Amino acid sequence: MKKCDVICPFCGCLCDDLEITVEDNRILGVDNGCTLANAKFMGKERLTSPIRRTDGGWEDINYDEAIRYTVDMLLDADRPLLYGWSGTHGEAQCIGVHMCELVGGIIDSTTSVCHGPSILAIQEVGHPGCTLGQVKNRADVVIYWGCNPLEAHPRHMSRYTTYADGYFLDNAFRDRTVVVVDVRETETARVADEFVRIKQGGDYAVLSALRAIVRGKGDMIPPSVAGVPRSQLERIVRMCKDAKFGAVFFGLGLTMTKGKYKNIRNAIELVDELSRHTKFTITPMRGHWNVYGSNEVFTWMTGYPYAIDFCRGIAFYNPGETSAIDILARKECDACMIIGSDPGAHFPRKCVEHLADIPTVVIDPVPTMTTAMANVQIPVAVSGIDAEGTAYRMDGVPFRVKKVIEPTLPSDTEVLGDMFARMKEAKGL
Amino acid sequence: MATSLSYYLREMARGEWLRNFLFVKTAPYETPPHFRDYPRLTGKECTHCLACMMICPTPGAIEVLKEDEGWNPVIYPGHCIRCGLCVEACPEGVLMSGRILESQFFENTGYTWTFHLTVDSTLCMRCGNCSVACPVNKEEDPQLAATGTGENDEVIMRVKGGELRILHEEKCTGCKTCEEACPNSAIRVARVIEAIHTAEEGG
Repeated sequence: MKKCDVICPFCGCLCDDLEITVEDNRILGVDNGCTLANAKFMGKERLTSPIRRTDGGWEDINYDEAIRYTVDMLLDADRPLLYGWSGTHGEAQCIGVHMCELVGGIIDSTTSVCHGPSILAIQEVGHPGCTLGQVKNRADVVIYWGCNPLEAHPRHMSRYTTYADGYFLDNAFRDRTVVVVDVRETETARVADEFVRIKQGGDYAVLSALRAIVRGKGDMIPPSVAGVPRSQLERIVRMCKDAKFGAVFFGLGLTMTKGKYKNIRNAIELVDELSRHTKFTITPMRGHWNVYGSNEVFTWMTGYPYAIDFCRGIAFYNPGETSAIDILARKECDACMIIGSDPGAHFPRKCVEHLADIPTVVIDPVPTMTTAMANVQIPVAVSGIDAEGTAYRMDGVPFRVKKVIEPTLPSDTEVLGDMFARMKEAKGL
Repeated sequence: MATSLSYYLREMARGEWLRNFLFVKTAPYETPPHFRDYPRLTGKECTHCLACMMICPTPGAIEVLKEDEGWNPVIYPGHCIRCGLCVEACPEGVLMSGRILESQFFENTGYTWTFHLTVDSTLCMRCGNCSVACPVNKEEDPQLAATGTGENDEVIMRVKGGELRILHEEKCTGCKTCEEACPNSAIRVARVIEAIHTAEEGG
């Protein structure tokens, strides 16, 4: 049986046009999806029952034991950290915030290690953004800065920006100009019309130079800025000013390099400057599936988008102090629950060492690098495959994700809901 | 040294030599009719068969673009080497350059071609750039071209069952757009082109 219009549960593109072939509650094939979507749907590594670490290995336990362990761990902890949230749906994130408030812990999503700086910059200067549909139908100049969509968001170019025919562009990619700015020639750079190779850490200077040229102060620019010749910068500004509609997309190459959120601020201000001549927009390439949703959910519930500390009883937010990496590096937290993320694969060694020292519970459908640091892992249904819920695309459009097969395991919402109910009971609420 | 100098002076000071040198009679500058300039449009209707793009040996020299309701080839002089192969390959005579069309007509020459598409599935990201960009796919499945969502199996290639599948190789016109759109060089178009000479009618 074919299931149509299935939403992909992998990256921030949330492609909503997959066709999944299902027989006997098993997924047999994925149409229209990229290689990442295919691997996600066809993955066969899933755990079937919760596991607990023993002296020399692992033992299977039941859900009741696993949930009891987690509830006790969180209630006993002085400063628990609830981290992850990007791989799960909005409803589970809601319960997470309630749980965190109840135990006076810290809740943080993967945002603090990806587009956290983008949010800080947006808080300073605003976000001239748009939906991906606008880009597809209107943009004749597309700039990818510090990101490689061909590897991380494979269908971004074919579906949302470059190759798809637009309502106002008959010849699709032949009418569009693609500019890639990166420190190395990536796969995306190979299909770009203009590749700007920038010296590592030179983004701020190049953005400032572009702003100066847009302002008509190009004569004060030195012949080369961070390895980019002035003539190329002038050409790009001309291209941007001549555009009918321009779209900038940026990734971790801009947010996590020297300058951090000031880079993004500068990029937003460049977009603002260009919008005095034509129409320009800027969109962060949110990577991990529903990471945008975690910011939305946290913001509407606590007022802050990520790294929220409830130890004072009220929401307190100070990225750099209350973000997961800092809490772990300072060895501050004494228990950690990780859901829908794999910090074991991405966090600095110091943080991972602390994770291994403290009681850690991982809620994840498959064994990951974080499993190696966990005391208990609780497998759950995958949002978008055998669990349903709400997720946000990278441009802030919410989708209702459906399930394509009947679940054999509880969903994140069910597991967290059970935990929260038991916590309330223990607290006499 | 002195002898040769005086020889030259004597030779060039002659009135006849000076007359010939200063008032030489040459033919007025005129482009000869056989000169192959950049291909021009003849005004005949382009059917979007893309034979011109298929045969063009130079990357980025020619593409067929949509103008209002019709299609027309566009030549990029910076890339074009004026080989004239596009003029010869076009079955509708949309392009002209020098005497190519005339000699082709009188000598009954032409080309036949077939194409073979190969996909290296270890390099392919299934990003769909090729199947969305392919101009034949655009005609067969406008939905695929507009949104990346494959609606039917009449296209040359599309992502199906987790693989980029070649469904209708025979529809390929060899324009190489897929190759250009592929960042990993995962898709390759092999062209088998043969120059033919048909016998004159009744011959």
